[in-house]
Amino acid sequence: MNILKLQSTKNWPQYLTTNLLLTAIILMLGCSDSPPQGSASMGNIMGQQSSGFAPVLDTTEIRFPADHNAHDDYRLEWWYLTANLKTASGEPIGVQWTQFRIAMSPPQQQSSDSGESSAWATNQLYMAHSALTSKQSHLASERWSRQHNQLAGTTAKPFSVVLDNWQWRASGEDLFPATLSVTDPQYRYELKLTTQAPYQLQGNNGYSIKDPTGEVASHYYSQPFIDVSGWIERHGEQVAVTGQAWLDREWSSQFLKDNQQGWDWFALRLDDGSALMVFQLRGQPNFYSARRMFADGTGHAIANEDIQLSPIGWHKINNQDYPVKWQVSIASEQIALEVSPLNANALQPLTVNYWEGPVNATGSHTAQGYMELTGY
Amino acid sequence: MNSFGVQGYWHSLAIFAAHYRQSPLQASAILVGIILAVTLLTGVRATNENAIASYASVTELLSQQASYTISPKFAQSHINESLYFDIRQQGISQSLAVIEGVLMDAKQKPWRVQGSDLIAAVSALSHQVADDSHSTASAPNPFSGDIPLARLLNGAPVVLMSQSLANKYLTQPFSLAGQPLEIIAVSDDFNLGQRLLMDISLAQRLMGQEGQLSYIALFGELTYQIPQLESLIAQQALLVENDNGASMTALTDSFHLNLTAMSLLAFIVGLFIAYNGVRYSLLKRQHLLTQLQQHGILKISLIAAVISELLVLVIIGAVIGFILGLQLSYWLQPMVSVTLEQLYGANILPGKWHWSWLAQALLLTFFAALLACSSLFVDLYRQPLARNSNKLINEHSAHQSHKAMLFIALALGTIATIGMPFSDDYRITMVLLGLVVIAIPLALPWTLMQLVSLISRLFTKGLVGYQVAETKELVPPLSLAMMAILLALTANISMNTLVGSFEITLKQWLDARLHADLYMRPPSDKVEDIARYLQQQPDADKVYKQWYLKSSYQGYPSFILTRDANSIEQTTVLKQAMEDIWQQFFDGRFVLLSEPLALKLGLNVGDKLTITALGDKPFTLAGVYFDYGNPYGELLIPPALWQQQNLPAIPTSLAVAVTGDEQALILRIQQTFELSDAQIYSQQGIKQLAVTMFKRTFSITQVLNSLTLIVAAVGLFSACFMLTQSRLAPIARLYCLGINRGQLRLMVFVQMWLIVLLTCLVALPTGALLGYLLIHKITYQAFGWTIAMVWDWQAYFQVIVLALLASTLAVILPLYKQTRRPLVSSLQSELL
Repeated sequence: MNILKLQSTKNWPQYLTTNLLLTAIILMLGCSDSPPQGSASMGNIMGQQSSGFAPVLDTTEIRFPADHNAHDDYRLEWWYLTANLKTASGEPIGVQWTQFRIAMSPPQQQSSDSGESSAWATNQLYMAHSALTSKQSHLASERWSRQHNQLAGTTAKPFSVVLDNWQWRASGEDLFPATLSVTDPQYRYELKLTTQAPYQLQGNNGYSIKDPTGEVASHYYSQPFIDVSGWIERHGEQVAVTGQAWLDREWSSQFLKDNQQGWDWFALRLDDGSALMVFQLRGQPNFYSARRMFADGTGHAIANEDIQLSPIGWHKINNQDYPVKWQVSIASEQIALEVSPLNANALQPLTVNYWEGPVNATGSHTAQGYMELTGY
Repeated sequence: MNSFGVQGYWHSLAIFAAHYRQSPLQASAILVGIILAVTLLTGVRATNENAIASYASVTELLSQQASYTISPKFAQSHINESLYFDIRQQGISQSLAVIEGVLMDAKQKPWRVQGSDLIAAVSALSHQVADDSHSTASAPNPFSGDIPLARLLNGAPVVLMSQSLANKYLTQPFSLAGQPLEIIAVSDDFNLGQRLLMDISLAQRLMGQEGQLSYIALFGELTYQIPQLESLIAQQALLVENDNGASMTALTDSFHLNLTAMSLLAFIVGLFIAYNGVRYSLLKRQHLLTQLQQHGILKISLIAAVISELLVLVIIGAVIGFILGLQLSYWLQPMVSVTLEQLYGANILPGKWHWSWLAQALLLTFFAALLACSSLFVDLYRQPLARNSNKLINEHSAHQSHKAMLFIALALGTIATIGMPFSDDYRITMVLLGLVVIAIPLALPWTLMQLVSLISRLFTKGLVGYQVAETKELVPPLSLAMMAILLALTANISMNTLVGSFEITLKQWLDARLHADLYMRPPSDKVEDIARYLQQQPDADKVYKQWYLKSSYQGYPSFILTRDANSIEQTTVLKQAMEDIWQQFFDGRFVLLSEPLALKLGLNVGDKLTITALGDKPFTLAGVYFDYGNPYGELLIPPALWQQQNLPAIPTSLAVAVTGDEQALILRIQQTFELSDAQIYSQQGIKQLAVTMFKRTFSITQVLNSLTLIVAAVGLFSACFMLTQSRLAPIARLYCLGINRGQLRLMVFVQMWLIVLLTCLVALPTGALLGYLLIHKITYQAFGWTIAMVWDWQAYFQVIVLALLASTLAVILPLYKQTRRPLVSSLQSELL
């Protein structure tokens, strides 16, 4: 539709052209007075006001398998898988798959405004990101769809979350065991995902605050111990892969405060069999959160003041510096790690523009995992 | 050129400038020619380019950018949306589901509505934008302002409308198909035109087409996915590679070619004037030029100065012409827009223009003018210093060049005559026609000379003899203007013939084609009720039914249709048919084709054809029928066959023969079934509409035609004017010899009229020839319409009168001036 032909891209970096779509979404989310200039950031989406949407409360209990499914009353939600894999020949490969769900209007508005029901009518938007990263290349792509039972959405029995042919399909109501398959013109993969470990509730029983006052929070649980086997295909060449993956499930109606610019997030599996999730939200002051987790389901939160994150190496992509090397120090856990990327160019040149890629860590432990840098 | 030459060059330029200050008329004659030529060239070009650019982006909006579309099978109107889901689930994500239709508002005004999956559209577009980000065209953001995308997706009753339409409708309650709707205005730059845009969730519901799609547009590089797509689609639909509007352009190609040809014709006519002006001004300066040479200015400096002078005039003329041309295009565009919108449903974009057009027009004009004047410059270069021998050379060269032109004309005519029977593509025929158009004026000077010689044999004595003999002398200086006027006359006569013939053919065809008194196209849910209602009305004598589906047959956009047997027999105007066609047609083995479709497919009566949607059994082409003004082909099948094939059972349109008061019945139907005026037509109304549409279609051509004629008349005027002015001396001489003013005036007028009338006489056969070629070759090949040629004497005499008027005016002015001057000054004025 010409009608949807979008804003001139003249002054925008070429890789940002697709964030026109984001402009659209932000505008339709009611922020029409100030469309974002230049790069869209996570903050544009994450920092939306939450009025009318379901609030995130510390009293809300996370229940399985119900909470694996979509929470349409909350504004934002994701299913987030990162995998550190190896091919038969030992080449390290990173795979990322994220399924976002975005509610375009609060639930009560939906019921009053909708006409007679059409299968097409929805207030839910699905967006998926996928990337395949090796030392030399970083392939990333994106899909969009409205919620529609034939196109995009979740099912409970058996569990699935689907957008076109990017599909997470479990065999039962639980998230695992499952098959994740993604096909893009440049690459494809199909991964079998299994786990023996219980889910880890982040924050306080799955209530994860994003600032010291708890004004902004999310419901958040993880599965850091996933065994992966399957295959990937790049440029028509298919190879078997095995390795470990990490799943994050998070939903909220507001993720960032106005004065927070973005976050730096690490998901690391240490060589002692434990896993470490740590993130900082950059603001005045920075807010830190971390959890040490074990395969038997035990784990503990780490106090804000014990966490030290400092960038030690920067890398320029498209005239923008990204802190791709970090020093992660948590004295109370005897952890002192130097984290470096497998491929420093792992920028997701998608509607939402952020750095996300596999990392290795050395120091007190050796570790593998993923790092996400947003808001740069 | 050395510094001496350069100095001479500047001196000459200064003197020329002074000369033009002295006689501005000479400069303006050249300028008028150039301005007219460039105006018409630019005007038509801007109009054409805007129209063509419009198809690409307007007609099907985004789907034009699709690499493939999936359309319903022949003889089906919709695709099941499950195919869209299958395609998306197979990972062909850059695809867009679209439903299109017509919905009625509260006043029963029909609106074209497009509904699509807006998220898929934005997503596909963002890919397109990413692929195409080098394009500098700044497309405005549809989401600026308050477009409630969330509500749109949610099926809320919201419709997007172009700003200019919305201005009209925002103030009043608006509803479609009984659903009150909120109007959201979007910028006109999105070219929604008269169309409305909705989300598919709302559109399907309002159209009552839940689960149905009109087409699916596929984007991006799909070469490797084609086998997968084909097996998915299987027998459900058709996968069509998108031609980026080529099929639309093909429909309008001949229209634009027509306009371009007309503008080039006008350009040439304009150049004739400019050439004439240059020639005249050189003639007037012959003495001056000789004097300059005698003062030691080099010939090369003189020539350079003359060429520079031409360049300056071309630049001034082209710039003025360019500005006027854009203004002309501004006037023409609504006309083209109406034509194209009515015929093809295409809207015209707001006007755009490019500096490159000016540059191109400038270069083209300069080189064309230089080429046209080169012979003059060569003559000037060769001209000996002693001036006396000059006249002889001129005359000698005139005779020579007339012969040479005749020879070229004959050669061109021969090529066209040989080529014409072999061409069945209108574009090639158009080129051959171009040769004829060039040949006709080239042969004119020689023909005129012959005609005048013939006449001079009749009058050998006295003043009349002198008069006719002198006319012969006038032919060479006037021949150029006459060539221009002949060209314009020929074009005008032929175009009038074409338009007139078509109008008569169309009216006759409509008389035969329309047998009922009332025609109606109600919404499909009302058709059967109306038919039943009509059968019960005493004043409705007979009810006729028609069924049709828009489709495409072998790549040509076509309708498959049927009517009740009675209507088919009575209203099909056959061009060719097998014997006793109606005794056999209805048994299901035969089909009929409309003339344009039969021509495109190259089928003749008796040929076999298969229609995949109607099974593998081949049908015999029983006949070809006339069909005018329809951009789609038609495939007429017997009603029994239609019903057997499970094609939609509800008639698309109804017709009634009325015995009583027509208006009363219309009113009753309208009141009972809430039909709008646009849904019910009297026979008279349809005829009027058809003729109006037809007239609009040709109005732009006729406007251009008239402009060309006016340009030629201006040319004739300036040529006659300059000629008469230069003849003031011989006229004064004759006066001194005792011929009175009245006789002299009459003589001058008669001489002019004779030449003009002879030219008009030549234009008669050439106009007829061109008209014949336009009707039987170009129109037939381009549109597939057989038209009986009808000669229009009235139009012919009209253009003759115009030509005579222009020449009379051109003679009156200098004569009038002369009477106000002392005789001696006329005698002193330079000789011819």
